[in-house]
Amino acid sequence: MDVVLDVKGLSKQYKKGVYASEDVTFQVHKGEIFALIGPNGAGKTTTIRMISTLLKATEGDAVVDGHSILTEPEKVRECITYLPDEAGAYKTMRGIEYLRFMASIYAKQKSDIEEFVKRGSDICELGDRLNDKISNYSRGMQRRLLLARAIMSKPSLAILDEPTSGLDIINALEIRRIIKKLAADGMSFLLSSHNMLEIEYVSDRVGIISKGHLLEVGPSRELVAKYGVNNLEEVFEKVVTVH
Amino acid sequence: MKFSILLKKELKEMLSPTTIITMLLMIIVLILAGKAMSKAVGEIQEDAKTITICDQDQTDFTKAMIDAIDKDENTEVKRVEIKSDDYSKELDDVDCKNVIIIPKGFTEQVAQHKTATVKFAQKMTSIATFSNVNQGSKNALTALEKGIKYTIYAQSNLDQATRDQLEQPIELEEYTVVSDKQDQIASSTVASLMSSQSMFIPIVMFLLIMYTSQMIMNAISTEKLDKTLETLLSSPVSRLSVISAKMISAAIVAALQAAAYMYGMNKMMDGITGGAASDQNVDALKKLGLSLSAGDYVLVGIQMFLTILIVLSISIVLGALAKDAKSAQTLQMPIMMLAMVPYFVTMFIDVKTASPIIKYVTMIIPFTHSFIANQNVMFGDYTTYFIGLAYQFVLLCVCMFLALRIFMSDRIFTLTLGGGKKKSGGLFAKKKPSYDEED
Repeated sequence: MDVVLDVKGLSKQYKKGVYASEDVTFQVHKGEIFALIGPNGAGKTTTIRMISTLLKATEGDAVVDGHSILTEPEKVRECITYLPDEAGAYKTMRGIEYLRFMASIYAKQKSDIEEFVKRGSDICELGDRLNDKISNYSRGMQRRLLLARAIMSKPSLAILDEPTSGLDIINALEIRRIIKKLAADGMSFLLSSHNMLEIEYVSDRVGIISKGHLLEVGPSRELVAKYGVNNLEEVFEKVVTVH
Repeated sequence: MKFSILLKKELKEMLSPTTIITMLLMIIVLILAGKAMSKAVGEIQEDAKTITICDQDQTDFTKAMIDAIDKDENTEVKRVEIKSDDYSKELDDVDCKNVIIIPKGFTEQVAQHKTATVKFAQKMTSIATFSNVNQGSKNALTALEKGIKYTIYAQSNLDQATRDQLEQPIELEEYTVVSDKQDQIASSTVASLMSSQSMFIPIVMFLLIMYTSQMIMNAISTEKLDKTLETLLSSPVSRLSVISAKMISAAIVAALQAAAYMYGMNKMMDGITGGAASDQNVDALKKLGLSLSAGDYVLVGIQMFLTILIVLSISIVLGALAKDAKSAQTLQMPIMMLAMVPYFVTMFIDVKTASPIIKYVTMIIPFTHSFIANQNVMFGDYTTYFIGLAYQFVLLCVCMFLALRIFMSDRIFTLTLGGGKKKSGGLFAKKKPSYDEED
């Protein structure tokens, strides 16, 4: 199976002895949905930000589609898209303008722009509301627009931090369905969430992270069986207690 | 191509309809203010033609004097009767704003070679300067003085030549020297012309600094707080393109704002002075080298541009420190203070001849050099100009280095000022950082 993301001993040390993330190692394969789970402050966002080239890793490396985040961050950014937790969009723009703006940044040639915008419009299903100012969007509408932005360019790896946070059940279900469908089409996802039930449903494999350390990696069902518990939440509780 | 996309987006955000409307409204307000002032000046000139006089002495001498004033084509004398010292009531009764009262015994005082008393009552209707000015009455008092003088001359049997000499014993020929140039014009006239022509430069400079700073700080802090910056910086564009697009668009919009204000202020000043500078005076300023040539404008412009770049660099750092919209506004205070000091100091004193403390403290502020750039160029003080330019350039390099270092590093995401949640080992952090809130 093709490896899209290869994370090797990735660490972020802010001050001597203070690690936000330490020696994190995992892989994401083509068409796989990999989820990092853990409580607030576990180091999920720091790890994701390092892979997204926003923060510089102090130790280790991550390779995306053959490009190192340390030596080829520009190449990495061409292969990924990143949707931060609680991200906003430019409120002065209309939905369609936002999609077009982001499409122009990701497009390698001019003809790609309209293709990306068309795909984005189909994914977010906002219809005529795409012509409205983003400042008039509800939180759910804005999240759908941002998700559409993140996947419309069909990146090798889409990194989504808490993709359904703050959404109602209907919107959250719809987003989970979209992610699953795109993964089936070959797009890889790195998700982060502290909603373990959601992750259990949507992901192929999970990585349990706590206090900056990746403690366990594997498919949800295997982990549940390994620890002899009923669900991922109980797995997490056991893993954290043991370590 | 991607840089132009970013630049277009930044320009569209900064040049919002609100900004454009505010800019247009400001121009309209300034033009209207200028028109209102021009009208007020016109009314003053019209009022000056009418002189209200109450002759309580009623002698041939006073009547002759008033008739003499009345004969002047440019003056219209309104004779009224004031019966008491209650001027408020009396002025209301005669429906006048002011009145010259020639009291009883005036002619007798003149005849006895005593200093004659004339009363002048002016009603203040507001604190606005223009509403209280009455040049006509002052002219009338001068005419009365003249009348008395001529009466005395007549009584003294002085010949015409002596009378003329007494009337104007000396004639002052004033010369003003600027550097190696000179012209026959009073220095007070030059100072008055210069101040009326250059009084809006510090205002425009101050506004330019504030607008530029506000725009870039909003652009950075809003992107950071909305996390659109994370989205943008994880996309295939370089950080240098992102920051350059922001800085260039902020500079363009600030320049537009400055141009709009300068145009509006110019119109307003035209209203105040009524385009008062005569051709003769304008020629004198040119002869003295006190008007800017195209080359001088370029020199002043270079220093203004350096100031804008310094403001942009400092504002990027401050914008990156903002925790929320409110703190972004508070963080603008240092810039405002740095702009206000040279604004007020240069308005009231000559920095270069001020006491050493005031001089050096003011000169350390980089913006000061732009406030005094036109003076330096006009008076040919190129040494001060180029020292200022070099100082600004060095400071710009330092600020730019600091701003780019923050923007190109993790600090753009981790740095906040005060007890913010994301306090890290950044520039201003003292406490041990906590990452509890970061996933």
